Amino acid sequence: MNDFVYFFTFQDPSIAFVVLGITLLGIGAAYVGTFSFLDKKALIGDAISHAVLPGICLGFILAGQKDPAYIVTGAFVSGALATFLTSWLRTNTKLSEDTIIAAMLSVFFGFGIVLLTVIQKTGNPEMAGLNQFIFGNAIAILEEDLLIYGGLAVLIIICLSLFQKEFSLLVFNPDYGKAIGYPMGTIRLVFNVLMILSVVIGIQAIGVVLMAALLITPGAAARFWTDKLGPLLILAALFAVISGIIGTYISFVFPQMPTGPWVVVCLSTVALISFLFAPKKGVVFKMVARNRYLRKSHREHILKTLYKALEEGKESLTIEEIYEAFPYQTQESINSIKSLYEDQLIIKNQNVISLSIKGKSAAKRVVRLHRLWELYLNEYMNIAPDHVHDSAEKLEHILTPELEDLLENRLNFPKLDPHQETIPRDHDEL
Amino acid sequence: MMSFDPNAFLIISTASLIAISCGLLGVFMMLRKMSMTGDAISHAVLPGIVIGFFISGSQRGLEVIIGAGILGILATLMIDWFRKKAKVQLDASIGITFTLLFAIGIILINVLAYKVDLDQECVLYGEIAYLPIDLWITGSGMNLGPRITWLAVLNLILVLGFIVSLFKELSLTSFDEGFSLVIGLPAGAINLALMSMVSYTTVSSFEAVGAILVVALLVVPPATAFLWTKKLIPLIKITAGLGVIISIIGYYFAYWLDSSIAGMMVSVSGVIFLASAILKSKKPNFKFGTKIADKPFSI
Amino acid sequence: MITQVANPILEIHDLTVSYDQSPVLWNVDLSLPPGQLIGVLGPNGAGKSTLIKSVMGLVPPTSGHILIFGKELNSVRSKISYVPQRESVDWNFPASVLDVVLMGTYGKLGLFKRPGKKEKELSMECLEKVGMQAFFNRQISELSGGQQQRVFIARALAQEADLYLMDEPFAGVDMATETAIFQLLKEMTQEGKTIVVVHHDIHSAMNYFDWLIMLNLHLVASGPKNEVATEELLRKTYGGKLNLLSKVSELIRQTDFNPLKS
Repeated sequence: MNDFVYFFTFQDPSIAFVVLGITLLGIGAAYVGTFSFLDKKALIGDAISHAVLPGICLGFILAGQKDPAYIVTGAFVSGALATFLTSWLRTNTKLSEDTIIAAMLSVFFGFGIVLLTVIQKTGNPEMAGLNQFIFGNAIAILEEDLLIYGGLAVLIIICLSLFQKEFSLLVFNPDYGKAIGYPMGTIRLVFNVLMILSVVIGIQAIGVVLMAALLITPGAAARFWTDKLGPLLILAALFAVISGIIGTYISFVFPQMPTGPWVVVCLSTVALISFLFAPKKGVVFKMVARNRYLRKSHREHILKTLYKALEEGKESLTIEEIYEAFPYQTQESINSIKSLYEDQLIIKNQNVISLSIKGKSAAKRVVRLHRLWELYLNEYMNIAPDHVHDSAEKLEHILTPELEDLLENRLNFPKLDPHQETIPRDHDEL
Repeated sequence: MMSFDPNAFLIISTASLIAISCGLLGVFMMLRKMSMTGDAISHAVLPGIVIGFFISGSQRGLEVIIGAGILGILATLMIDWFRKKAKVQLDASIGITFTLLFAIGIILINVLAYKVDLDQECVLYGEIAYLPIDLWITGSGMNLGPRITWLAVLNLILVLGFIVSLFKELSLTSFDEGFSLVIGLPAGAINLALMSMVSYTTVSSFEAVGAILVVALLVVPPATAFLWTKKLIPLIKITAGLGVIISIIGYYFAYWLDSSIAGMMVSVSGVIFLASAILKSKKPNFKFGTKIADKPFSI
Repeated sequence: MITQVANPILEIHDLTVSYDQSPVLWNVDLSLPPGQLIGVLGPNGAGKSTLIKSVMGLVPPTSGHILIFGKELNSVRSKISYVPQRESVDWNFPASVLDVVLMGTYGKLGLFKRPGKKEKELSMECLEKVGMQAFFNRQISELSGGQQQRVFIARALAQEADLYLMDEPFAGVDMATETAIFQLLKEMTQEGKTIVVVHHDIHSAMNYFDWLIMLNLHLVASGPKNEVATEELLRKTYGGKLNLLSKVSELIRQTDFNPLKS
């Protein structure tokens, strides 16, 4: 608990600095990553993250110590080389993009491992600091590192905000962009540079192996909550920042723990929650929507049953008769009758049920939609009268008043459906 | 010339066995455009390895292989679930799955550090150099030779058996999955079987070359070979040959530079790959002038 | 204008298919006679391929069911043969022409067994029928589009089925070859085979087919060519989509749950 208060009140300026750094790089990575996610090139980020390892090692060898300027430059150069090779191989060989990315990723990483072991054998005491680049250690970020990482992150954020329109075009429809005279080649180049930079500044905190998650996961999770680009970017940034701070906090409390894995676990939890519970697209939401639809359709089927009884001259039905009309669905029928009664659509007299005035109007509407759709299927889609019922049984629950008007006009306010049954209107007497 | 060094011979032949097993499976992964799924699986088996290790108390236990196998299949199913049920695009599904499972693996290693003698470096790049001193000694004290070599032999036999017996099914499902479904081949089951073989090969090899470098052996030799041939059987043969070549060159370069052998094998394969790509690129060759691919004839 | 037949070889009952919750094929109900060359016509996006794919079990129906030879698909797979669209595979795949045609025999071979001499001879015969025997040893990546298409047709022939479903088999094929292959298909129908072909060209369709299925998101017509090739039905098929139907599709796509699922 003390740790918690100590950490989050930022008494220690170095913690404040680290949190600021994580926040900036989280926003930067989430921004870039969301664009590349929308571009369906999420895994290029993974390739770049692995590919910066040899650059880091070379920077270290050249500087002889952990100098952020050398390391950032080295990482950038090898990331850029990997990006260039990926796109060159894509246009100049028959290999598929998937194979190329996997090959680049593993070759660069393998070479990085070679350099890492070479450095290890030299016995350089700062070697331990280099290992942190693999799984990340946010707490080890020093103030002078932060100036570079934070500065670059701010640069990325500003660039992406300024050229949001251009990058959207790049992701959405580059050919159109070219046609209206945008320099799409240059825009792609700038975007690639930003992508590499965001990886470069993230590796100290997250590590090369897991950096991909900071690029891919926030955008993928945020996509479940919104369809608009602006909120999408903000949400993705928010997810990344929260996860980044939690990960940092954990490696603050348990110094042995690398930061990267915890950031990834937090991010993935957010993503999983989004996949399951986000409105509209979430898996659970869809199940709920399905149940809601089934309840609604069952209610309306009961109204229809009562209405058909009315057509045959029976003012009411007993509860048992309704149960019989829906075999194996007695529980659903009980629930529906209860809710129809609560909504005053039916009148219950002991065991006998009849439609209220409001209920009659609602029942007429369902029957009307059913029969209008049957007639439409029959007249416009040549479907035989004995095959139209099933489709109408489903669509009667979702057709909107606008479509109802359209159907009425298209069919010229018909009197009879294909089975020669009357299509009921509100003013009709029964 | 160098004199015969039994340790070098042992290391090179073990590395070759592993590279051939990976390459053979990798050919089909590449043809299915599932190289990145292979990458994801090789990361994702980590928690399985750690849990198996934790349960059995050693990294030789069968539990380790079972644990990794389960995680490998779980990763495949997770990717599928994200894609089909949650409608996340494929690349992002792969990215989310492997980073999550790998992260859990690393956390487990740290949490169980006192129980599990498995360090992060070993997972990353293995150490095939210790192979000659890691011997398989039976209960009665008989020395049967290096343990990892035996594992690699067993692995290759199983991979070969798998590919030979299901060659026709593997090639058809890789080429035209729809058609294989139409004629009633169990394409889904064959896919899962292939993924299980990849997971098993990853675990079997990770001590020697590290979980992440397995990916390189899965991807790079097949990709290189595919630049040189259009035929399936030669593709498989060249891939296997490359496995041996990179083991030999990789070993001696690593010996010379005193670096990771597995890392050097991958670097060598990378150089061969890039050289092949330049030689075989579709670009007009400056030296020979522009060669226009002749339009294949029609009757 | 939908003609139903007695003893059909293929029956489709009230088939509705949706992609991403948006119906692309509405309530198709038809039956086809055996021994005929049957064309599936319709504009782009009318659901022609979807119809064939759902018969082959490659896309799940939202509702409805299909019977082939009066049975479920799984029990009659060996009697049906399928030509997918050329774009559905990557032609860089390392295989020779003969390898691909041999794939047609895999269904009858079953798991684990290798194709032998008998299968190779059969495959060569099929290649000969489409005029590709000279190319048997060539790699498929070296073929032109039309040649690749003919390899796919040969593969379907190697399945030795009774019912053939072909999805745009003549896309990119030159006129002379198209005529020759139609001649071959005609001969096959005379031997009692039934062949269903998704075709893009109305004019040649009028020459070749015995029976036409006309689609435009819903079934416009299905019947003998002479009866359904009327100006009115062609206008209904190609004269734009039904406005109201598109609106209902959009409405379904936007609901939280596909109500058409039974």
